Amino acid sequence: MNAALIFGILAVLMLTGMPVSISLGLTVLTFLFAFTEVPLEAVALKLFTGIEKFEIMAIPFFILAGNFLTHGGVARRMIAFATSMVGHFRGGLGLSAVFACALFAAVSGSSPATVVAIGSILLPAMVKAGYPKAFGVGVIASAGGLGILIPPSIVMVMYAVSTNSSIGALFMAGVIPGLLLALFLGFTTWYRAMRYNYPREKPHSWGERWDAFRKSIWGLLLILVVMGGIYSGMFTATEAAAMSAVYAFVIAIFVYRDIGFRDVPKVLLNSANMSAMLLYIITNAVLFSFILTNEQIPQGIAGWLLDSGLGKIGFLVAVNILLLIMGNFMEPSSIILITAPILFPIAMKLGIDPVHFGVMITVNMEIGMITPPVGLNLYVASGISHMGLTECTKAVWPWLMTMLLFLLIITYVPEVTLWLPRTLGML
Amino acid sequence: MLLKLLDRLEETLIMFLIAASTLIIFVAVVHRYLASASIPGLQDWLLTLNFGWAQELCIIMFVWMAKFGAAYGVRTGIHVGVDVFINSLQSRMRARFVVFGLLAGAAFTGTIGTLGAHFVWENGLGYALMSALGSTGDYFEGPTTPDLEWPTWIVYSAIPLGSYLMCFRFLQVMTSFLRTGELPTHDHGHVDGIEPDGVPVDANPYNMDDDLHPADIKHHAGKGDGK
Repeated sequence: MNAALIFGILAVLMLTGMPVSISLGLTVLTFLFAFTEVPLEAVALKLFTGIEKFEIMAIPFFILAGNFLTHGGVARRMIAFATSMVGHFRGGLGLSAVFACALFAAVSGSSPATVVAIGSILLPAMVKAGYPKAFGVGVIASAGGLGILIPPSIVMVMYAVSTNSSIGALFMAGVIPGLLLALFLGFTTWYRAMRYNYPREKPHSWGERWDAFRKSIWGLLLILVVMGGIYSGMFTATEAAAMSAVYAFVIAIFVYRDIGFRDVPKVLLNSANMSAMLLYIITNAVLFSFILTNEQIPQGIAGWLLDSGLGKIGFLVAVNILLLIMGNFMEPSSIILITAPILFPIAMKLGIDPVHFGVMITVNMEIGMITPPVGLNLYVASGISHMGLTECTKAVWPWLMTMLLFLLIITYVPEVTLWLPRTLGML
Repeated sequence: MLLKLLDRLEETLIMFLIAASTLIIFVAVVHRYLASASIPGLQDWLLTLNFGWAQELCIIMFVWMAKFGAAYGVRTGIHVGVDVFINSLQSRMRARFVVFGLLAGAAFTGTIGTLGAHFVWENGLGYALMSALGSTGDYFEGPTTPDLEWPTWIVYSAIPLGSYLMCFRFLQVMTSFLRTGELPTHDHGHVDGIEPDGVPVDANPYNMDDDLHPADIKHHAGKGDGK
């Protein structure tokens, strides 16, 4: 009963278009004020203590690192390397787009940023080389989704924070699915290019490839700082994030020289703005999950679902459908913060691995980013291509199907996700 | 004039906080590794330094950044919502929802600010003020933070200060919306590193013209689908 009430208030408030963070907070206030005896002062304190966790601080650091390197120059180097490696296949520029998105994802951690960076350079090049625009938009919008699957990923940190899972294990678990999805998307790209006879680029010599690799390696080393640092136990996840932010700063300013010192305040302000928005959602989501726990709603729902005889398979199907629907209306961070406190305890009761569950949710979020009405990647792609949102939606469908197939594999073959972290002893 | 100053102050504060906390963590980590390396002279000196407080300070700074940054975010219109429904409405109706949303934001942050102010007063501000005036009365001195041993009321005052500022920003955005029909723009800004048209690479992906933000009246008059 209370569950219906709380989610009812939340849904109504959210539909009025107010910020998600405010709807969460107001739901809590309304509910506490009208239906319970919990002192309201506790709420104010929670607002501070809610984000008093060192793990959460990885988010601003990763955003900062990403923003230093989310720059045309870095994207160009990654694209040059990708093109030199796979450009000579049929549909070479499309394959390069997938490859470059995967590389860029390793520095940026944000899907829309990946689409912007890679798309605004490669899309014009593809159109010039004779590819249909829709093909380019489809490839880039969907491959941009790799940004949240390949570590470092802000969405994964969100999940780790709200379920107390290990950030390091999640990141490690994202590596193989990330590469596999890149392979899947690449295959779809290649297949369509064969079928419609799209052009290919001239082959590059190994010398040129080495040269392109050397130029892009500085950016790519960021992932080594993060993953190597966490895996070797040199840093905690948050420290690794801070180190990567400093590394990104040094590379951007002194090595690549894409930005100068006078651009630094802008990057800082932009990162602070983005992080504060996300942290504010987290704070209010913590409040929200506090009343959920207080009313024992997660346990209630879990008990009810388990009694109704829902098995592991049925539950995973239900979660996928729920998240895919939510992905059509909200952005990933809010979805994870709202649903994780409810879904996670059920998943645990059913014996699903927390890391596997996290990666599955992340893949879901990726798909949500290329489905309308709220698909961030679609918006960005429509912005850079000057194509309407509907056309962009039509353009992504072959890759959307590929991703749905991939989601099935991730959902029902946990080993794809769990093998690497388990082999490395992180689980 | 005063408003301009407040704007600058807000921006400078959050820029400083994010930069400083990154540096602090960086220095603390480097210190940890250098101090364990046996470099004669340097090591002894490094061992006299203690960075145990770095983590706590970083958290405090980020909480402050989150509170004031959230207020700044209202001014830049970055906060995301579910606007699919209202963006499909006629502009008159949509305007009502937008105003309602902004008022709700102001009401929420105002309430939280007041609750926070009360909390801060009870947990040390009252005591600090009264003891400065000579008598402590029956106020509680309040706890201190574990590592830095700062009074917590100073740390927690981010809640009332940040929330009131945010409340003010909501009201500010609302009055300007009522006057001009304009919301803080989700403009694509200028291009950095990538020329002709298209979205700039330093564009904020959370700040696009999409259904995560309400479409305003000035740029999306009539029955908009928000684009």
